[in-house]
Amino acid sequence: MGSVLAAASPSPASAAAGGSPGVPGLGSVPPGFAMPSVSSVPAASDQQTADADAPLLNPGTYEECHRKCKEVFPQQMEGVRLVVNKGLSNHFQVSHTVTLSTLGDSGYRFGSTYVGTKQTGPAESFPVMVGDMDNTGSLNAQIIHQLTSAVRSKIAIQTQQHKFVNWQCDLEWRGENFTSAVTLGNPDVLVGSGIVVGHYLQSITPALALGGELVYHKRPGEEGAVTSLLGRYTGDNFIATLTLGGAGGHATYYHKATDQLQVGVEFEANTRMQETTASFGYQLDVPKANLLFKGTVDSNWVVGATLEKKLLPLPLTLALGAFLNHRKNKFQCGFGVTIG
Amino acid sequence: MSGAGAKKGLTSGVMEWVGSACKFATDRTDFRRNLLVNLGLFAAGVWVARNLSDFDLMSPQPLT
Repeated sequence: MGSVLAAASPSPASAAAGGSPGVPGLGSVPPGFAMPSVSSVPAASDQQTADADAPLLNPGTYEECHRKCKEVFPQQMEGVRLVVNKGLSNHFQVSHTVTLSTLGDSGYRFGSTYVGTKQTGPAESFPVMVGDMDNTGSLNAQIIHQLTSAVRSKIAIQTQQHKFVNWQCDLEWRGENFTSAVTLGNPDVLVGSGIVVGHYLQSITPALALGGELVYHKRPGEEGAVTSLLGRYTGDNFIATLTLGGAGGHATYYHKATDQLQVGVEFEANTRMQETTASFGYQLDVPKANLLFKGTVDSNWVVGATLEKKLLPLPLTLALGAFLNHRKNKFQCGFGVTIG
Repeated sequence: MSGAGAKKGLTSGVMEWVGSACKFATDRTDFRRNLLVNLGLFAAGVWVARNLSDFDLMSPQPLT
């Protein structure tokens, strides 16, 4: 996770062509952060003894709970994307991205990733600095650093040309069997506005983790808070996660059927927008054919798929994607090539 | 006579309930109806994932 390649921007084949990357720290996997592993449940006859004896492990972060299921689903692709990745050293990597799009903006984006020399684990090194800028001057940047063995900090900024759009700082404390994090978003002392987000996730048993989120926002003349609760159950080959809050609910189920096949099912309900969606996705990984296929179908009559194929021995990856919205009668397809 | 009238009332009540249930089930703009439908789809998806996804893609082809 701390290597240059692992800390690189997300693969272009997995992102919509022509669109700017998501707000730093609010959607992508930050380098240096590890995924919680799918733990095994002991045999039924020894389960109680095993549960009593087994130490509770750190449950990972709040944002990662739904990620395993989300990664199974294909990303929408539109237009043409060419990405060239080049590692300049063990610590530094650059990338060049050219996008051609009919729906969004076409342009060029330069990205760089630096991974420091402070090694905290077998695959983690800090500090990690990731940044990219497009041809209009819009910048996305984040810095992640391990302050102590248990405390990690991150600063992320996003600009739109010369104007700062997002700036946030967060602090994460990983205990023996819990994780807590505080994020300060867009603080503006002069105007008196900002957002504070607090997360807490606790391992209750080796399989069950419970947590909560509190979001407090303030701006002149208005302030409010939203809370939500999260529960995650990890089985032998599945992870079930449920989030319930004032704004709605979100449930995901991830199932690893075989080494090649992973399935994800998702349910979302938004009480403010009065909308609900159920989605089914699967991922087929055939390493012998250097092939990765993802497909999805949802309750809004949207069917989509992406295909990634490594064209060995060339350092080329080809990505094709198509999405069809039957209800709105819309079709979208994309094509991407990654070199390096 | 009153028994027949009560029976008629019961039948019309049941018909009314069936009618409103059909209206609820077919009203695509109703949030609660969509919530129940999508919860059912989610449960069906979980059942499919747990029971119908254990085929081995890399197993050798059977001899014909």
